[in-house]
Amino acid sequence: MVFSSSYVWAEYKFGDAFFYLKRQILFGGVGVIAMFSIMVIPYSNWKRYSRVILLICFIMLILVLIPGVGLVRGGAQSWIGVGAFSIQPSEFMKLGLIIFLSSLLATSQKYITSLRKGFIPCLLLVFTAFGLIMLQPDLGTGLVLVLTCIVMIFVAGARLSHFFGLAALGVIGFVLLIASAPYRIKRITAFLDPWEDPLGDGFQIIQSLYAIGPGGLMGLGLGNSLQKYFYLPEPQTDFIFAILAEELGYIGGIFIIGLFLLLLWRGIKISLEAPDLFGRFLALGIVVMLTIQAMINISVVIGLIPVTGITLPFLSYGGSSLTLTLCSVGILLNISIHSKI
Amino acid sequence: MKHVSAIVVRKRIVTVFLFGLIVLAIICIRLGYVQFIIGDRLMAQANELWTRDIVFEPERGLILDEDGEILAENVTAPSIVVVPRQIKEPEETASKLASVLDVSADKIYEQITKSRSSVNIRPEGIKISEEQELAIRTLNMDGVYLAKDSKRHYPYGNYLSHVLGFAGIDNQGLMGLELYYDKQLSGDKGSLSFYSDAKGRRLDDLADSYRAPKDGFNLKTTINSKVQTIMERELDLAVSKFNPDGAIAIAVNPKTGGVLGMSSRPNFNPENYQEVDAEVFDRNLPIWSSYEPGSTFKIITLAAALEENIVDLENDHYFDDGEIAVGGAHLHCWKRGGHGSQTYLEVVQNSCNPGFVNLGLNLGKEKLFSYIDKFGFGKKTGIDLQGEGSGILFKLDNVGPVELATTAFGQGVSVTPIQQVMAVAAAVNGGYLYEPHIAKEWIDAKTEQTVESVEPVLKERVISESTSKEIRYALESVVAQGTGRPAYVEGYRVGGKTGTAQKVGPDGRYMQNNHIVSFIGFAPADDPEIVVYVAIDNPKNTVQFGGTVAAPIVGSIIGDSLRAMDVEPRTDGLEKEYLWPEQPKVEVPDLIGHKKSEIAEMMINLSIEASGTGNYIIDQAPSPGSKLEEGAQVRIYLGDEKVQGTE
Repeated sequence: MVFSSSYVWAEYKFGDAFFYLKRQILFGGVGVIAMFSIMVIPYSNWKRYSRVILLICFIMLILVLIPGVGLVRGGAQSWIGVGAFSIQPSEFMKLGLIIFLSSLLATSQKYITSLRKGFIPCLLLVFTAFGLIMLQPDLGTGLVLVLTCIVMIFVAGARLSHFFGLAALGVIGFVLLIASAPYRIKRITAFLDPWEDPLGDGFQIIQSLYAIGPGGLMGLGLGNSLQKYFYLPEPQTDFIFAILAEELGYIGGIFIIGLFLLLLWRGIKISLEAPDLFGRFLALGIVVMLTIQAMINISVVIGLIPVTGITLPFLSYGGSSLTLTLCSVGILLNISIHSKI
Repeated sequence: MKHVSAIVVRKRIVTVFLFGLIVLAIICIRLGYVQFIIGDRLMAQANELWTRDIVFEPERGLILDEDGEILAENVTAPSIVVVPRQIKEPEETASKLASVLDVSADKIYEQITKSRSSVNIRPEGIKISEEQELAIRTLNMDGVYLAKDSKRHYPYGNYLSHVLGFAGIDNQGLMGLELYYDKQLSGDKGSLSFYSDAKGRRLDDLADSYRAPKDGFNLKTTINSKVQTIMERELDLAVSKFNPDGAIAIAVNPKTGGVLGMSSRPNFNPENYQEVDAEVFDRNLPIWSSYEPGSTFKIITLAAALEENIVDLENDHYFDDGEIAVGGAHLHCWKRGGHGSQTYLEVVQNSCNPGFVNLGLNLGKEKLFSYIDKFGFGKKTGIDLQGEGSGILFKLDNVGPVELATTAFGQGVSVTPIQQVMAVAAAVNGGYLYEPHIAKEWIDAKTEQTVESVEPVLKERVISESTSKEIRYALESVVAQGTGRPAYVEGYRVGGKTGTAQKVGPDGRYMQNNHIVSFIGFAPADDPEIVVYVAIDNPKNTVQFGGTVAAPIVGSIIGDSLRAMDVEPRTDGLEKEYLWPEQPKVEVPDLIGHKKSEIAEMMINLSIEASGTGNYIIDQAPSPGSKLEEGAQVRIYLGDEKVQGTE
């Protein structure tokens, strides 16, 4: 496979303590095994079980909101399970919804041009999932989910006029969302001028820029990051790209961005060569999800958009995230196998 | 329902790809902007964040006199450092520290409970006294440490206070030389900077960078501490005798412009400068104050007239009837009834105002004012001290005959003492106007090598040597035969000029019975080594006249200073002319070797006090050749053996 090179990055971890490294290797190992296992499962099976998968995902999303069942970490009730073996239902929901939406769009593509029979029902489904995720709240994951689904609906053939209407609604919705959680306003103002409140809301962006800036062309060298020494919060998860740009410089940063571009290109190619519509939408959905997530993450890190709290696929530390990412790559690979026949 | 064609789907997939490409391109551009365009700025800010500095204070440079005598030095005085985390009972510690440092316990409690790794108690806990140090050691409190520190010490106390200035609690120069040369004296701080994590722990893998502190340079000044001591003594005497509003004394080497001594009253102790009003330490009167100079300014008029060849001191005459009419105004001589017929040398000796008015009128305003400007009046002299004044002159356009006339004898102009000193120095040193300076050499404290020598700065040649010689002669005659007689020093050919300046009161009018009396003198007249200016502001219980009050002070300063500077005494000077009640001095004869019975035949007008027994005089005090006032006492020592006389 052409992009098998990309998952090698999943093995690689920038965390400075063995604790993270070991766990990341463990999850990476589990993920790789899962990826290869899923790779041999014909993707048509996902279509068959898409309703069940979606149902399970919705149940989990509701469960996580129940106090005592869901675990609160970093201000959001996003986790389910016990200790190290906890999972993020919203991560599963992303993949689950992509599978279901692919199935739905493949079987009922002819309705997509209709506002009432196609466009609105699809969006209702998407925004129900989004709403549940926002109750945790987890803006980053919700955003990825919505954007990915909209791209899928767009590709399936929905009318452009419908999208303009949606965009108008989106603006209104965005304003309402901001209004509902004051901390998001602060994140946006902090983004506009992080130095206005360097110890408060601007802190993460400033620390992130302090990592990236000194990186220069070649970087400080692997392992030589200074910002990871407690200056930059969560260097191994959301802000891993900052450390990478600090240690490996512009060259390293461009290399990673290039890999995501390669992933996108290969994914698009798989999508175009897929034997059926379900495979086409599923491959597209998966690759768009991974790419959008990477774009949002890197944009946050380099101060292009406000802080949303989202991991960088393949690179960030995080069990559910890495495993799910690798699983989705497994599905992509299976579609790839079928397309070559 | 319209069926969506496969072509549309494919096109839209490609659209998605292209859109993704654009977004990734934007990300690459932004990444490049952060890393290249603003990268250096971020790097600098980040470096500040990453490094912690331990500061090493440099030793402040000493201030020395021209012979290396220490005028300002550093003495160790520890400072209290408190480590809040190690204090178990802050209330108790605070109350103990409060009693030692004489501060309120609340204030200390607030400081020692801060969440910092270490705190100072400012300013009371900085540079504490020996007693406080002992008390802190005895109390032996947890978390309270004494750190080595040093403070500025001025071994001579009030001496030279305005010139030396003082340094603040962090050894930063705040006034005087300490401020003017703060940069050179303070040196550079050293530091040990190490990289640390956000929690302040040291990152061992990264190299520490150590920069050794660079001690300040020692400043060797032109001040002669012997001359300064003499001046301080004389001003103290003057203060106790006349209880003046203020007093100023300046001594300068006319050959270089180097300041030998400078003092004023009121003064202060630099170590306790807070004890006096800011007005006292802010105002270095010899360079700050500006007032009508009075007759001392006539030297400038004289120099201009001689240089322009409009007067012959010996042969031209002036008749003074007590006043002169200029532009409708009548200007009076200080002597009621006038001085009658005088040569111009006598005009100078008598300090005759109408005579000088006549010289000024003959010069014309352009010439006189061009000399005033050339001699440096109306602008700062450029001395290496802060807070210099520049004085006030008439604007040339506004000068009419009356202004010209009053300027000629030193009224209606306002000048600073240092301007007068430098101008007179130029008038008597052959015409060379120097910039006054105090810094002489910069010395590396460790190697004791001179790093930089300050060369005298010659500003302008104002008059010729022959004019200068005539001025020296005229001014020597002022002291020998004129108004400056009390400044006469046997053997040192003092020249000089009195000044009695009127003060302008708050109402803008001249004040009554309130003058600044001054005298500017130099010696030896054949080759001046020192110029001394003394001004006493509003002396009490005396005639307010420069010749009476200031001239004897200048005479004492010059005589003692030249002796202290080992200047060869002269024999060819003008003899002092005595007027009643002054009496010529009697030379003490050589009595050693003579019989006791011979004394009565030998001596006149001296009283003898004998000690010991015997017929022969074996020693005497003062020694033969000394000059004493009539009736003064000579002590003789008697013995049985005849000793050889000193002749």
